[in-house]
Amino acid sequence: MTETEIDLQGVNGDAKAADTGVQYGAELMQFAETFARRDDEALTTARNSLLSVAGEAVLVDAAGVAANFQRMVRIADSMGIPVDDMASELSQSIRTELELTRFEGARNSLSAG
Amino acid sequence: MSYFKYENSPYVIRSDIAEAHASFWENLASPGNWWTGAERVAIAQEVRNALSCEFCASRKQALSPYNFAGEHQHGEGLDEVAIDAVHRVITDQTRITKTWVEDNVVKGLSKGAYVELAGLAVAVLSVDEFHRAIGVALEVLPDALPGAPDGYMPALASEGTGYVPMLPNDGAIGKEADLWGDRGANVLRAFSAVPNAVRDWMMISSAQYLSFEGMANFDSPENRSINRMQIELVAGRVSAVNECFY
Repeated sequence: MTETEIDLQGVNGDAKAADTGVQYGAELMQFAETFARRDDEALTTARNSLLSVAGEAVLVDAAGVAANFQRMVRIADSMGIPVDDMASELSQSIRTELELTRFEGARNSLSAG
Repeated sequence: MSYFKYENSPYVIRSDIAEAHASFWENLASPGNWWTGAERVAIAQEVRNALSCEFCASRKQALSPYNFAGEHQHGEGLDEVAIDAVHRVITDQTRITKTWVEDNVVKGLSKGAYVELAGLAVAVLSVDEFHRAIGVALEVLPDALPGAPDGYMPALASEGTGYVPMLPNDGAIGKEADLWGDRGANVLRAFSAVPNAVRDWMMISSAQYLSFEGMANFDSPENRSINRMQIELVAGRVSAVNECFY
């Protein structure tokens, strides 16, 4: 374990939170967000920004992760799978902190009991 | 023809990414369990059509995707139920319901065929999205290979989780022994009615994200220039924008 303090709100788009304990955090978050929102102009800016601070190897790796997770949400929702362990304390605390039950796909897990 | 040479990429692309994409392209072109090679390539083309489909864009804004009149912008080679299924998986997946999946069975899209269709669609999407992320043109789709689908469904696949039959979490045995270990998470089980769909996503995921072994490394995975925190920040932000609860 690295024992590094981070702020999960980076996942919800808070740039300052994204930068807490994560090198290039703000740039990575912005790249991920503009990519997922399909804002091509903003993505170009974010890509160049990430490239300038972190280099092309980081950009390529980040692009792979971002692309992979465009698949994952569609696997979950198209097949209707529930979260495996809704009772896990860690899982519950993360869901609460990030307010995940606001997502429509939450119904697959909340109704599974 | 060989694919994913990335000769026009302004960046060096890790060889394992190119290899995984090329290997999946071969699988895409081959007959599957429920679709011919030509139909599988047609599904891939519909993934691309869906992203510029005006009907999809309008329907996504509607309060309900049902009873919304119109026609998809689509290509050839699939019937309208399959076309709609690809477009829904790609552009409006959060509102897919069990009822919709079962209504499609009545219209001729069996659950096995739906699983294979969805598996292909999301795999093609992730390959294409990598290209968009780095700003290079999409790869040309492969030429379909001849042959008939084999109709294979694992004997242990059954209903009970989600919308389609799946192997139980301890069901990776026999022909499916390579899919996972003692217990399979739901995200692995999701496509298991079509085992090759699971293999394809594992192969692509290992290159784009992490291998199963790599997922146990919470520090700096091998062959990566970003550490686990950076990886999960990107993964988490994309997932949050996509409203992925899982």
